Amino acid sequence: MDMKRSYYEDIELFKSGVILFWTIVFLLVLFTFPLYMSDYALYLLNLIMVYVIVSVGLNILVGSTGQISLGHAGFFAIGAYATVLLMTNLQIPFFIAIIAAAFIAAFFGFILGLPALRLEGPYLTIATLAFGLAIMHVIGHTEFFGGRQGLMAPPLDLGIPQLGWSFVLSSETSKYYLVLIITILMVLFAINILKTKAGRAFVAIRDSDIAAEVIGINLTMYKTLSFAVSAFYAGIGGGLFAFVLGFFDPFTFNLILSIIFIVMIVVGGLGSVMGSITGAALITYLMYDLFKNVNEAPYVGPLFVAFSERWMTITGMDNFNYIALGLVMIGIMLFEPLGMFGAWIRIKKYWKTWPF
Amino acid sequence: MRLNKITLVMFVAFCAVFLFSYQGQAQKKGFDDNEIRIGQWGPQTGPAAPWGAVARGSKLLFDIVNEEGGIHGRKIRYFIRDDQYNPSQTMAGVRDLVDRQGVIAFVGGVGTAPGVAVQRYLRQNKIIWIGVCSGAKAFIEPHNPYLWNMWPTYDDDASVMAKFLVEKKKFKKIGMLYQNDDYGLDSMAGAKRRLKTYNMDLVAAVPCEPIERDLTSQIARLKAAGAEAVIGFVAPTQAAIALRNAVSVGFHPQWIHSYNLCDFYLMNHITDGLWAKEKVMTTAFTADITDMSIPLVKKYHDATKRLAPQERWAIFYAAGIVVAEPLVYALKKVGRNLSTEALKNELDKVTNFQGIGPKLTWTATNHRPPKALRIWQCGPKGEVIVLQDWTENELSAY
Repeated sequence: MDMKRSYYEDIELFKSGVILFWTIVFLLVLFTFPLYMSDYALYLLNLIMVYVIVSVGLNILVGSTGQISLGHAGFFAIGAYATVLLMTNLQIPFFIAIIAAAFIAAFFGFILGLPALRLEGPYLTIATLAFGLAIMHVIGHTEFFGGRQGLMAPPLDLGIPQLGWSFVLSSETSKYYLVLIITILMVLFAINILKTKAGRAFVAIRDSDIAAEVIGINLTMYKTLSFAVSAFYAGIGGGLFAFVLGFFDPFTFNLILSIIFIVMIVVGGLGSVMGSITGAALITYLMYDLFKNVNEAPYVGPLFVAFSERWMTITGMDNFNYIALGLVMIGIMLFEPLGMFGAWIRIKKYWKTWPF
Repeated sequence: MRLNKITLVMFVAFCAVFLFSYQGQAQKKGFDDNEIRIGQWGPQTGPAAPWGAVARGSKLLFDIVNEEGGIHGRKIRYFIRDDQYNPSQTMAGVRDLVDRQGVIAFVGGVGTAPGVAVQRYLRQNKIIWIGVCSGAKAFIEPHNPYLWNMWPTYDDDASVMAKFLVEKKKFKKIGMLYQNDDYGLDSMAGAKRRLKTYNMDLVAAVPCEPIERDLTSQIARLKAAGAEAVIGFVAPTQAAIALRNAVSVGFHPQWIHSYNLCDFYLMNHITDGLWAKEKVMTTAFTADITDMSIPLVKKYHDATKRLAPQERWAIFYAAGIVVAEPLVYALKKVGRNLSTEALKNELDKVTNFQGIGPKLTWTATNHRPPKALRIWQCGPKGEVIVLQDWTENELSAY
């Protein structure tokens, strides 16, 4: 089905006209969302896109290079704090600040990539975990970073205020477009990077790092590069998160968040950009929206609440939320170990040969 | 050339930013002819879940009001959103309630970080918000016309404590164990300012981290300084650990903790009764909720037994009632012609209102929390002994 006849076909961004068509339709739909969606839905979409950026980057590291990181909340935090601090303390314009912040995160990614040269599996997991936790506490202890009290994001000014040219995005809609455009660019970049020399080197390292080294791939360079690229994505995501939320404190970037990032790509599908996107969207929706309204739903709501209060806890439906989230994850892992992307491939295959 | 086409699409799309950048859909009104919608966030799951009782306590008062026939023909519809003490979840829940359900007001809301995260949003959308459950400065200064504060500042709290320890108890050497963040630092400023008026200073001020589980070095420093009384501004777990440590090394100062720890039943439980044995004191800003001779306390207590028998009648639960009382009072005053502005005007006129919480007075330019606190001591059976009734902090920084 995915047969390639030449190298140039392989590096095409869109494999066929059909895919190009549907991609454009999908993007147009995304661009019209604010016409009929509430501010709440836009906030949720903004969060989803921020997490999409992070998980696309994490998937380059975990899915494509075969390394693991339980410290991505740390890079995410670095992105958020660096963007806001560069903007408020040095009055640097937003775009430069967020890119600088992402490079700072990438630098830390590079540093964390160094132990990855010697560590594997659970040992690497512990090293990255320690990094994620340490970042949270270093920030919490340092007055310069706002301490435990957290930081307030400044107004989101896309212009250069010093030159008297300022363009402040205040509405949820305009933030949505900004995040959307950055997300599209980051996703395109990720799709392309996997088709370059670097991307192929990542995959070779994942499949067998000894074999990769034998055929001339510089392990030191590409392993650390993978960490840096992945951290760069988390940095961009963090920078946007700061403005989507408007306020953050160090404990927002806790261990649970790092685990959630991993969950997103595992549920979505390891090693696939589309998998990261669907995984991030699904998990964010489940965490933030599912069942939060059930209490007030007609007929079903009171029934569920009564059931919960009688048999489970006094806090009503909120524990169900966790249970449902867990069940969905177990279900996907059980029936579709390749994640949602695996399900998609199966559906595609089925319809290719339909009705046989 | 496919890539050029993509660039073109992207360019057009980018232009759309400028074309479509308008304000989102108008939010829903917070009430109609039959109901008034009110919301609250609070951690119902996760590590901070014990504080979630606040949000459920408010429900009790609204249920009582509805049982009595509502307010001027309208019933109260109350929404709780679980935020797991995570600001991004708080923001999601609050936006959901404002946009999709339409609420006129929020009451309570546990925690500084979740509250700070939504403060700007609520103010921009002119949503009334009463009694955020935090004594942090961020909610008091600068003045927010749509937020009315009820929880005493930690600065006032420590100042009242220090005054009591020096003037009533005649302690000469006062130490302090504080959490190393704004909670602890605000209160230390208050205590120091008070002690300065007596030409005294803290004999030792020892910080601890909220995640620390070993406080032996802190206790050793307090003991070495010879503290006769120790002011504590820490989380319940730290207070319990500190007390155990102190007793095990034979250090028995008079402990006095912030009002966040005035649930004596709970504290006794997690200290295996040491809380009562050591006669620990705390400040408090509510009526004694175990004293059934107070008519309102009895009314709420009985209502809990009837309407929410699964709940424990305790201080966090009662705090939910405390933050909801002024809203119900103001709604009753407004009458049938309800609007956000009318409700705001009534709240700005609240003078000497007292339910089971502190006495409240707000004006259009002053939404500060009450400065008066009481001092309680844990009796031998875990009961409340009132050592000092409402005492105002005349040295308040706010």
